[in-house]
This record gives sequence, structure tokens and C-alpha cells, in this order.
Amino acid sequence: MKNIEKIAFQFPTTLAAALRLQANEKTRGKLLAGGTDLMVQWASGVPTPERVTSLWNLPEISAIRVLADHVEIGAGVTHAFLVDCQPLRTHVPALVAAAGTVGAKQIQARGTLGGNVANASPAGDTAPALLVTDGTVVLASQAGEREVSLSQFWTGYRQIAARPDEIIVAFRLPKRGKARERFRKIGTRRAQAISKVMAASRIRVEKGVIVSAAIALGSVAPTPVRLTQVEQFLAGKKLTPALIAEAEKLAQTTVQPIADIRSTAEYRRWASGRLVRDALEHL
Amino acid sequence: MTKARKNARQLIGTGMHRVDAAGKVSGETRYLNDMPLKGILHGVVVRSPVPRGILKAVEPDPAYNWTGITVATAKDIPGENVVHMHDRTMPLLAEVGAEVRYRGEPVAVVAAKTLAQASAAAAHIRVEVDPLPPLLTLAEAVAVFKSTPDKFDSMKSQDIVKGDIAKGFAEADDILEGEYEAGHQEQLYLENQGVVVYPQKDGSIFADGSLQCPYFPVHELNDPLQLPPEKIRVRQTPIGGAFGGKEEYPTMLIGYAALPALKSGKPVKITYERNEDILFTPKRHPVWVRYKTGFKKDGTLTAIECDYILDGGAYLTISDVVMFRGILHCALAYRCDNVVIRGKVARTHSMPCGAFRGFGAPQAIWGIESHIDAVAAHLGRAPHEYRQQIHIRPGDSTPTGQILSAENGSTTCLKQALQRADFARKWRQSSQGKLRKGQQKLYGVGLAFLGHGSAFTGDGEAKFKAKGRVELATLANGKPGVNIRVSSTEMGQGVHTIFTQIAADALSLAPEHIRFPLADTAFVPNSGPTVASRTTMVVGNVVYRAAQDLKQQIEAFAAQHFFRGAAATLKDSQLVAKGARPVPFAKVAQAMLKEIGGASGSFQFNLPDSIRWDQTTFKGDSYPGYSWMANIAEVEIDPLTYELAVTRVTAVIDIGRVINPVTAGGQVEGGLTQALGYAVMEKMGTGKNGLYDAARLQTYIIPTALDTPEFDIHFVEYPYTFAPPGAKGVGELPMDGLAPAIANAVAAATGRRLRQIPITPEAIYEAVHGGREGTP
Amino acid sequence: MSNVTRTWKLNGKSVTVRAPAGRRLLDVLRDDLGLTGSKESCGEGECGACTVLVDDEPMVSCLIPVGQLPNGTEILTIEGIARKAAGRVIQQAYIECGAVQCGFCIPGMVVSSYALLQRNPKPSTRAIRDALAGNLCRCTGYAKIIQAVKLAATRLAKRTR
Repeated sequence: MKNIEKIAFQFPTTLAAALRLQANEKTRGKLLAGGTDLMVQWASGVPTPERVTSLWNLPEISAIRVLADHVEIGAGVTHAFLVDCQPLRTHVPALVAAAGTVGAKQIQARGTLGGNVANASPAGDTAPALLVTDGTVVLASQAGEREVSLSQFWTGYRQIAARPDEIIVAFRLPKRGKARERFRKIGTRRAQAISKVMAASRIRVEKGVIVSAAIALGSVAPTPVRLTQVEQFLAGKKLTPALIAEAEKLAQTTVQPIADIRSTAEYRRWASGRLVRDALEHL
Repeated sequence: MTKARKNARQLIGTGMHRVDAAGKVSGETRYLNDMPLKGILHGVVVRSPVPRGILKAVEPDPAYNWTGITVATAKDIPGENVVHMHDRTMPLLAEVGAEVRYRGEPVAVVAAKTLAQASAAAAHIRVEVDPLPPLLTLAEAVAVFKSTPDKFDSMKSQDIVKGDIAKGFAEADDILEGEYEAGHQEQLYLENQGVVVYPQKDGSIFADGSLQCPYFPVHELNDPLQLPPEKIRVRQTPIGGAFGGKEEYPTMLIGYAALPALKSGKPVKITYERNEDILFTPKRHPVWVRYKTGFKKDGTLTAIECDYILDGGAYLTISDVVMFRGILHCALAYRCDNVVIRGKVARTHSMPCGAFRGFGAPQAIWGIESHIDAVAAHLGRAPHEYRQQIHIRPGDSTPTGQILSAENGSTTCLKQALQRADFARKWRQSSQGKLRKGQQKLYGVGLAFLGHGSAFTGDGEAKFKAKGRVELATLANGKPGVNIRVSSTEMGQGVHTIFTQIAADALSLAPEHIRFPLADTAFVPNSGPTVASRTTMVVGNVVYRAAQDLKQQIEAFAAQHFFRGAAATLKDSQLVAKGARPVPFAKVAQAMLKEIGGASGSFQFNLPDSIRWDQTTFKGDSYPGYSWMANIAEVEIDPLTYELAVTRVTAVIDIGRVINPVTAGGQVEGGLTQALGYAVMEKMGTGKNGLYDAARLQTYIIPTALDTPEFDIHFVEYPYTFAPPGAKGVGELPMDGLAPAIANAVAAATGRRLRQIPITPEAIYEAVHGGREGTP
Repeated sequence: MSNVTRTWKLNGKSVTVRAPAGRRLLDVLRDDLGLTGSKESCGEGECGACTVLVDDEPMVSCLIPVGQLPNGTEILTIEGIARKAAGRVIQQAYIECGAVQCGFCIPGMVVSSYALLQRNPKPSTRAIRDALAGNLCRCTGYAKIIQAVKLAATRLAKRTR
């Protein structure tokens, strides 16, 4: 019998039931949504948990709501569902683009936004696009709901700011408004690829001047990161080729990437700047 | 009706649909793991935990419950502990007291009713090794070769010498040197390795396996199992891809499974999961190759000196022959009177490398085709125009002194490929490091030109004498028909289809009367392994001749039994004789089966007497025939990130008579795609622990449907007339040239020559910014 | 361990399975139900050889614990697709275009092709590549597979007219 078959599974059919299970240490399980990360880890020999609480198909966390100034995306929304949601292409286009680069169709049909965030890989495809929205993660527990800023959510390598009794239920993401978004992933190939480096940006330019800039990178640090130094440098400045060149250099000096099987530290550092340039050249 | 028969379609040359496709598209084809097997044990291999050391102990934990579990160690090997491949150095299982030479070298096999039980038990075998310092990589071995050549550990060396190299360099106006490297490549057949060994009551074994060469285990396991060839029966199951990866390795796997099978008396199945398959089965040999070429101002090559070193891994297995094929392709395609090629197989403490489509030739051609481009650049010549000047053509002599016959379409391939791809114009548009007007991406076009020797080296086929039969039989559908009996295996390349075409034409029989059962050594003569681009050319000829032989027998029988002695001809599935009503083949065949119990046509392959080959000096006719290819790659490199896209690939190919243009095209597209992976993404390093760092499909990256270019593939036919229907080899050739064509295109795009594959964005970045790579 | 009982509509028929909740759908299909058309190659969702349709969406069955598929889930495997008219058109196109070599990836490839053509009857080449990018093939270089999907699309369009 495979190790995954020894796991005790719980299939709550409502969020309330899931929260109840997670509230109690004795019934609390490792949270499993579409399984596109965890099932892979368990197959590769990562020790399996004793108990799993399945969040797949929980109706309360599977909806997308478009509200006045923000969108609310349920944590259980799959990448495939997200990609097909027309309004999101208007309001959070970088996120839609990012979700479209997760694995391939089969993975997009199972992988969820909440799972991608909770898995907390520095190479999580949706993370940079989420970060640049300045949005929040909505966490629920029996004690109630709370919101945590996405920029404070990834606290370390594969660590998140959620308590053991909490479940990620949604993401509240301010619409881009007049800002422009861009997403670009440099992968090991053109599909089914984990990123070498990726960048998302949300930048607003008025009359040639950068009013606000949010730029985030993935795969260059233990967590997905915002390039706050670059953002501050850009704010209020006139968008010129010289500025772009400086921002590119600045980005290259701020990141501290490592080498791994997918890329080298040197390339990642260089490409970080190049992707910042790319964002600025497409405004 | 009569008219239609007269114009009956010849099948050779048509894209007849594959005979095995229906079961594959419906999911009905049963591969090894799809077969319901009852009462078998599952085997797990226990391995050395370190890359090198003295094996101190292999001991089952006495506290563990071993009921129902069979453990086999070297002590259980009935005969001599050796797998007899090309030498006798590799043990079947490492022995206590002896040296283990690679991480993962098998030390025991554990078998139990379920895989989970076997795996759990395997974890309770204590393997103790006193570690010794390993030499893990080719880079380390080459460092030794460069600094202290006498300390370099070569498992096999072979030189090719033509003319006078010193004179050649003396005559040269200029000399250029270059080193080129490539790492491991994984075959990545989608179906992992697997075998089942059934011990028989008479002490013999019967093995089912996903394997290319059923006769290899029959002859390579006699010593350890103490079984003569006739007591080892091997049958191929449908193969989910092989590419060389299931050439020599299944012998070892059968050996591993046979030990607990013989010990327990129960069938034992060993199948690998992907991770184990990548870690512990052979890969393409890493290569380091150094060229030094002398040439005149007009470009004429006066000297080619080459060192070609392969990483053989811990044991020789078949690496000598891989190296031989490599050195025979190191300078094959160009005119030069003075050549020295020195081939070596380095020993490293790693999994032995083995067969993979191309078999040493892709590594050689990666070097020479990069280097020739570098020479052209050095001379200020365009690569295509320079190759048109210096390429080898009929009448020229190869490095081994073979004079190319008129059956070599080398010039035509080159000329047509350049035309089809509009190379000259595109070459002028290449970016050479700077975006040209209107270009968003750095654009480059690159060329590789090559020949690939078909069949065994030298007089190998003359010595081997491939045998085959075509026999009358009652088919599975109850109707009389014809079975093709050769040991060639269907692994996706289409041999079942093209041999059906060949037999059908030779017999003048509709293909529905013909079957090609999966090879089983109990029923097929030894027509040799399914390797070396030999199958269509050599075994295809055997099938053709054997079918002709059978045809004559059928005609003679028909004349006697149906036409009162009048000469009969089998034509379009009927026996016809002058002035008589035609008799359907089925009726005659039925009568033959009934009256004389059947009939069988057979043939044994030979080569023309004029073939001369000296295996010691490597002089003479190194291959019976050569296929040719001119291969053009177009690339676009994003100047922002150095991401590279291969947008279009052109290949003009001479593989002799094309039996089936659709399956041949499929071979070429597939081979080119493997070569694409080799060139730009497939990367595998070795960790300090002696394990490959990319050992799962998440980390070992092969092309997806989004990564492949548009293909323009075109065949020109220069048949090998000695062996009708006149095919030459196609299997390996498409793997040979795309890596250098891409590297040459990258050089044209960026102005930088990359001397290592894969060419990743990181590599281009380093070449452009780091200055670590070579000059344009 | 927790066993679950699930009743699905598998290839058009009602099927009840009882298995550990964490058992992979692939193992239930292949080992428990004898549907060996879905293949296992990587076991980690990279190769697509085990692709099946779950409620019309292509998914890799090696990453689905069966407990997650509630009663009433519709599952279509290669065996079921082979019984559908559109499935047969696709399979025939694969045969005619020479899209099959070793065949190990083909069931998954056909399932992905079927899913694509259900959703997008007139796919562009790019859309076909996109839809098949989760199905690795090591033999063909994909060219003839893409051609087969186009041929099938053309034939299916004619049928529905």
C-alpha cells in the first residue's frame, strides 16, 4: 500500500465543518485542495501526514466576486476557472496571465489559487501577480475571519502567516484601475515549467510620470518578493529610457538569488533587472 | 477487376497505416504493467549507498520478519558473477569484499508478494561500504587527461589514422583548435523499464520484457545463471519507447529478477518507477572532444586531429562500440587526406552509460559541426558555402579509407536543404549580436551536415549473418496467412508496419494476410538486435528475400496441386497460371498447411565480398552504407532574457529507399525533437553523492508540444542496391545534427559560439556577458 | 487510513468503488477496475499519460485521491472515449496521420485532444499545442499529432453541419 493510502482523509462539505475540524488538534488535518503540489511531494517521498482535510469542491471558497473596487477570488478557485473568468482579465490581468502558466491544462484544472499560495514556494506562479495588487489574504477560523496583507503573508521559505486552525478562504485584490499590469515568466520550457525568474508589475503612469509602481519577483529569494527599493525609486519620476536603465540596475543590485537546478544566481540577478525593464518598457 | 489487379498498389513507398495503431489509440494494447499477472513476486533492487568503496556487508536485519520474502545476493548467483557484455568486468551483483564502483550499484534483490512489502523489506538490508574517493564526472577525468595523461583511466582506446598528420599541419596556412562538451542525456521512453522472469520446471527461465534485443540476455547471462542459451527464452512485450535505453540494460534487469525467481521458484517482476529509472539506467555518454584542424587559405582541410573522450561510467558494458561509432563520425563528412582521431572511454564512478539513439555519433557531430562553422568564420566564409566546398561526396575517401560509392546523396542533401530553407538569404539576415532593422529578436540560422553509418560497423553484418524467416501459418483470426519471424522489435519506430509492407510486396500479397508477432526467442531466429540503424536495411532485406523464398515455394506447390504442373505465380493475393482460373492465396495456403504442414522461407544476410575492414587498424569500409542529412535550424533569441526559440527546422535526408514516408517522417520529427531537447534544455548534473540532480520529470525537462518548431522534412533517395528493397538507416540520423545546427544558429544570432550543450538562457548570458565562453 | 465508497458515472456507466480515500484515481482505474488504457509514466503529474476527463475537464489521474471525487462525478477514460463517435473520429485521425509510434502517451493524448475539441471545435495550431502541452511524447515530435487533431476537427465539423 502506498503511503498516501494510509492517510486518514476528512471530507467536510461545508466551510463551517472544515473550520470545526481544523479547530481541534485531534481532528486537524493537513489541508489539501487540488493536490497538484502535495500529491507530487508525497509521491516523491516527502513524509505523508496522518490526517488530511480536503478542501476540494467546498462551495463557499470556490466563487469569484467582482465588487466595486476590488475582486474577491475564493481560495478554492482553480487556475482553469480563473483563466476563463472574463472580468478578471480586465481587473487583475497579470494574475490571469500567471495562472495560465501554471503547469499545463491538466494541472490548471486541479490546482487552486489558495493551494498555490499556501504551498508557499518561491516559484509559485501566482504569487508575484498577487503581490502587486496590494491585496489581502482572507483567513478563516472558528474565531472568525481576518485579513493579512499579501506582502506579509509569506514569512519564510515555504512558511505562511496562517495559524494551524486557519484556512485560506479568499483573496481580496484591489482592481488595477488605471494602472497597467504585466506578467512575465522565464521558465525551463514553454509549458509544464517551473520558473527560473518571473515578474509581475502594476504601474500607473500619468502624463509620462510614474504615479505608483508595484513590482514583484518570484524565484529570486526564499519567498516571492516586492522590489520596494525599485518601486520607491520609480515613484514620481518621469518615465525615460535612462530611468528604465537605472531601475534595471537597481533591481539587479537588490535581489539576492541562489543557484539551483533551474538556473544560476548570476542569471537570475541579471534577469531580474531585465524583467523590470520589460515591465517599464510596456507601459 | 483484372485491370485493377494489374495495377495493384505496391506498398513499399506508400504511407500505409501502422499495423499496431488501432490498439494503441484505443488503449487496448497491453504493455508489461497492463498485463494481469497472478502469483508473482515483485522485486526491488538494493543498491550501494556510495559511489565507490569496499563492500563490507550485505545483511538482512535479523530482527525483521522475513517470512515470504526472498533475498538474493551475490552468494545466490549460480555461476560466475559476471554479466558478459563487451568485457567480463561487471558483476551481476556486487560481492562482499569487492569494490562497488557507482552509487546505486546493485548489491541485492528483494522479492515479495507486493511491491510495498518488497520495498519495506529492502530497507531492512544493511549495506555497509568502506568509502573510497570517487572520480564522478567526465570533467574530472578530462582534467587528469590534460594534466597527467598516463594517470588517465581509459577502459578502451582506439585510433583512426589516415595519411600523415604532421605533413598535413605543415601544409596548412592556418590552424584552429576547439573543445566541445556535452553531458548526459536521458532516453526518457515514456514506459519505464520492466521485466518478468518466470522460472521453469526444467530449471530454465522465460522472460517477458520491454526490451529491444531479445537475444542479448540469451547470450549474456549464461555465466551467472549457468544456463545455456537454449535455456533462456526471452519475449518482447509491447514497448513504450526505447531509443537505445532498452538495448543492453534489460539484460541486467532480467539477471536481477532471475536470482530471486530461481531461488523462490516463483515469477519475479521488476519494474522501475520514473525516479529509479532515471537514476539507475544508462544514459547517453557525456563527451569531451577537441579538434585541431589545419587548412589552406582557400579553405581546403589539410589536417584533422581529434581527441574524443566519452564518459563510460563504472564498467565498459558496450561503451567501446559507442566510442567506435563516435570516432567513425568525428571527421566523416569532410574531405581531408590527413586525419588522426583518438577515441577513449573514461572510467568514472557513475552508472555505466549506454545506448541512446545515435550511439556516439551525435557527440562526434556536435563537435565537428560546431568546429567546421568555427573554421568557416575564421576564414571569413559563409558556413553553407564553405561546406559545399569541402563536404565529402561519391569517389572521395573517408578517414578509414572507404571510397564513397555513387549511392551516397551527400551533395544533393546539402544543396536541396540550402535551397528549401533559403539559407543564403537568411544567413545574411542573421543578427550577429545586434538586432537588425525590424528585428524584435536576435535571429540566426545554422547548418549541420552529416552522414550516419547504417548497420554494424565494418564487416560486422558479414560476420553476424542476420537470419530471418517468413512462414505460412494459421493466424490468430483462424485464417491462413504469413508470419514474419525475425528478432527485430517494434518499439514505436514502425518496424511491424514496414516489414509488413516489404513482405507484402515481396510475396505480392495483401497486408491483411501478413502478421508480425512480437519477437520471442522460442520462435524467431536471431536477426540481431534492433539497434544501429540496421533494421530496415539489413533485416528488411532478410524479410524481403525470405518472403521471395516462400513465394517460390507457394508457387511450386500451387503449380503441382492446383495447375497440373503449369507454372504458377503469386500475384495480388492470387495464384495465377496461364489459361487457368486464378486460385485465391488463402485456398492454396490452406492446402499447403494441410498437405505439407506449412512452409517457410528463410534468408541469411550477407555483404558484398568487396567489403574490407580491419578491426585492429580501423581501416577499410567502416559501414556498408551511409545515410546523409543536411539539417538547418532557425532560432530567435529574446534580447531581453536570452530565452531561445527554435522556430523552424529543415532536414533533407538520404536514407536510401523510403519504405514508408509517414513512419520515416515520424522517425525524423521525433529524432529531431530529442535533438532539440539535447541542444537547448535537457540537463543533468552529478551531485557529490554520485546521483544525477535531475532525476524526475519535474527536473529533467524535455520538449512539450509548445516547444517544437515547424519542420520541413524532405527525402531524397539513393538506394542501397545490394540489399533490396534498398533502404539505409533512419533511426539514429535525425538525432545527430540539430544540436550543432542550433549552436551555429545561436552563433549567427549572438556572435558568440557556445561550446557546451544544452544552450540555455544562462549559457547565452554567460557567453555574452561573462566572456567565459569562446569567441565568435 | 480511511476507506470511502463512491459511486461515479464512469464511461457512461454507474460504478461503485470502495478504496482508501488517498488511493490515486489512476490505481483505482488500472488495478481495481482493470482499465489499463490510462498509463503511468512519471507519477507526478508531469507527463499526462494518465489523463482522464473528470466532469469534462482533463486531469491527471495520478494526482487525484479518489476520496476527492464525490458521488455523481463523471469520469471518462480512454476506454470510454473509444466508444464515443467523436472519440473514434479522433482515433482514426491519429491512425491516418501516423501520429502513433510507441503508443504509450497516446491514450492521454487522445483524451486531451477530445477535451479540446469538445470545448473548441475549430482550434488554431497554437490552441492545439497549448491543449497538448501537458502530454509529453518522446517519439513523434508532436507534428503528426497536431496534424491529427486538425484532421479530426475538420471531420467533426463536417458531421455536425
